[in-house]
Amino acid sequence: MSIVTVQLGQCGNQIGFEVFDALLRDSQSSHGLCCKRENEAYQASCKERFFSEEENGVPIARAVLVDMEPKVINQTLSKAAQSGRWKYGQHACFCQKQGSGNNWAYGYSVHGPRHEESIMNLIRKEVEKCDSFSGFFIIMSMAGGTGSGIGAFVTQNLQDQYSNSLKMNQIIWPYGTGEVIVQNYNSILTLSHLYRSSDALLVHENDAVHKICAKLMNIKQISFSDINQVLAHQLGSVFQPTYSAESSFHYRRNPLGIDWHVRPPSSGLPSLGKKSLNKDLHFNTSIANLVILRGKDVQSADVEGFKDPALYTSWLEPVNAFNVWKTQRAFSKYEKSAVLVSNSQFLVKPLDMIVGKAWNMFASKAYIHQYTKFGIEEEDFLDSFTSLEQVVASYCNL
Amino acid sequence: MRGRRVGAAGARAIAGVSRSLPSDHSPRSSGRAKFDRPDDSAPWQLLLPRALPIPAGKRLASIALGKAALPALCFARANPRAALPAAGSVGWLLRAEDLCPRQMLPDPSGPLGDEMTVWGQCDALASLGPPAPHMETEGPVDVRHVQWLMGKLRFRWRQLVSSQQEQCALLSKIHLYTHGCHSDQSLGHLSVTEAEMLRDPEGGQQLLRTLEQENRRLEAVLAWRRTELVFWQWMDTVLGTCAPEAPAAASQPTFLPWVPECGDGELELVVRELQTLEEELREAAERRRVAWEAKARGCGRGPEWSATRRASQETVEKELGALQRRWEQDSGPAQAHGPHRLVRREDGAAGDRDLRAAELIRTLRSQEACLEAMLRQLQGQCRQELARVAGALPGLIWIPPPGR
Repeated sequence: MSIVTVQLGQCGNQIGFEVFDALLRDSQSSHGLCCKRENEAYQASCKERFFSEEENGVPIARAVLVDMEPKVINQTLSKAAQSGRWKYGQHACFCQKQGSGNNWAYGYSVHGPRHEESIMNLIRKEVEKCDSFSGFFIIMSMAGGTGSGIGAFVTQNLQDQYSNSLKMNQIIWPYGTGEVIVQNYNSILTLSHLYRSSDALLVHENDAVHKICAKLMNIKQISFSDINQVLAHQLGSVFQPTYSAESSFHYRRNPLGIDWHVRPPSSGLPSLGKKSLNKDLHFNTSIANLVILRGKDVQSADVEGFKDPALYTSWLEPVNAFNVWKTQRAFSKYEKSAVLVSNSQFLVKPLDMIVGKAWNMFASKAYIHQYTKFGIEEEDFLDSFTSLEQVVASYCNL
Repeated sequence: MRGRRVGAAGARAIAGVSRSLPSDHSPRSSGRAKFDRPDDSAPWQLLLPRALPIPAGKRLASIALGKAALPALCFARANPRAALPAAGSVGWLLRAEDLCPRQMLPDPSGPLGDEMTVWGQCDALASLGPPAPHMETEGPVDVRHVQWLMGKLRFRWRQLVSSQQEQCALLSKIHLYTHGCHSDQSLGHLSVTEAEMLRDPEGGQQLLRTLEQENRRLEAVLAWRRTELVFWQWMDTVLGTCAPEAPAAASQPTFLPWVPECGDGELELVVRELQTLEEELREAAERRRVAWEAKARGCGRGPEWSATRRASQETVEKELGALQRRWEQDSGPAQAHGPHRLVRREDGAAGDRDLRAAELIRTLRSQEACLEAMLRQLQGQCRQELARVAGALPGLIWIPPPGR
């Protein structure tokens, strides 16, 4: 079952590269800690999902790259080609020369419609190449103009044209003290639109990943490349093949079968089977939790702690809300690793903060004209606020 | 390939059955009567206008719950936790009966590989599947749970669609690659089952052996069923003759393994107990029936009730009429029913018992349109019902969740 990845904007393309690289490197690694047959099944599954084969045997990523500036796309394409182990398709990218000026409205209302046909054509070609297509993975940031605006537009189009396919959006939550003045506007517009057209939002916060780099990995000068690599590692450990409870004989067919909006917490790195939830007095209530275990001793790992009803909402049985995926095959040289993908109240505070900041700006009409200039009216802003307030309230009242 | 006609006669039978139901109870009307509580076909995304017109310039932050100044969005940013009613959990009751969406799904006993059973239109519509198992909830069902279920359903549906597409691609490949392999020229290529048999003959043999074993068992059961009565009659005579000699009962031939343990007295005791139990059950059933009838009667003979009943009777008549017309239309061209296999032909020639895929697709599409019309109608009813409920509570603002 294959996934088509759409990389949007600077952020999306850089992260996309790291993800494919991490996935392939892991699948070709010889430290799998499992038997040869297992390893081959794992490799085959990973390959089919994310890469297609060319005659000379170099895997080609199943990806479409979109950006409004040529620089990052060119860098991405050449980095992939240079690795020698994989590459992007020759005609898999779409770029322009002018950029989006960090303006969501420009991305959504101008670039989107203007280039809709070309972009959707590229995507369609990629989908047709798949023997069995399982869905889309869209990587974008919220704060800029291209990734967020065009990302929202493309996701909506995918919803219309491929209404029976699953779509998961990987969203990069900007730094709280980010450099883009209007990042909060861009964020709320993106989120409210994606809530309508996407099936799942997988969120990574720059601040959280930054902390991982600083505290857990002790990197002194943290660059975006470091952040992206950590991100890619987390994503890779979510997406690589696993067995689920139902079918223990083949790797799960559809890797996008995660229920509802999911969000990995900041401590998603290897934790030797221990729970990575906060054991505070106050639990974040979850709608769904997914634990993915890889490596040694997975069969005997104790995940009973996750079945505690206190972790979940009153209207869900833990058995419905909690899933475990396992594989003996170790990921990326870690003897044991665990990832927790969680749909919980974790997101409430950051979301609340962004909405609050955006509201304050909106109330004083700061920079609104830049959006109304391109067709995003005040009413659209208010709609977005309404949707997001609903989301915050729904999660608060879990 | 076998064929079997179900035509207008069958349709009339179905019509007769539904008309023969007692006039104050039809499945439709009881279903509709439940619309005094909205059912869970997730209508809110189609419901009331999404956003309320908010006067420009009013700050959300300055609106507190209950302030009449702006009876619009009833939440206050200052204290979101306290004020905002979370979308969907407004507090009214939802009785989760049959999950409508599941009834709208096509018949799940669809194609296995490239063999499928063709249903006539009446069959397909009548066989919308058994109603989903009743959720034994005593109290109100959380609407969020329903939303969650809808989401889960949506995901499962998508996964199903992609699996089906994959299956179609594979079928196409098998048919293409095995072209010219079949001994029967009119077929031309192998079916999935045949290809599988060739690939794994041992597996096929094993399957055959298992099936033969099953058959033998089933035949044994059938034989037992036919002769069961005779056996029990004989059993009675045996018991009758050995009654005065209770201990000797134990020495009866061993093909009555469980009887010897019961002496005569015990048997009588058991019989008496059974009779008492039967009496009690009968009484309990009678009590229940009386109570239900009283309740049903008490449900209202009022004008509203009879109006509802009349309305639903009319709808049923209309629908039956429409169904009959469709049956009569389609009884023209030969419609075979029963198992079929999928054959790919370059020249497009078809025997007289063959169905063209295009025709079948047309039929299925019209069924789909039918079901969609039904769905829209039900959704409209839910919409009206919810509007009525929402309108009945003054000051209640209904903000539906983001639509899809």
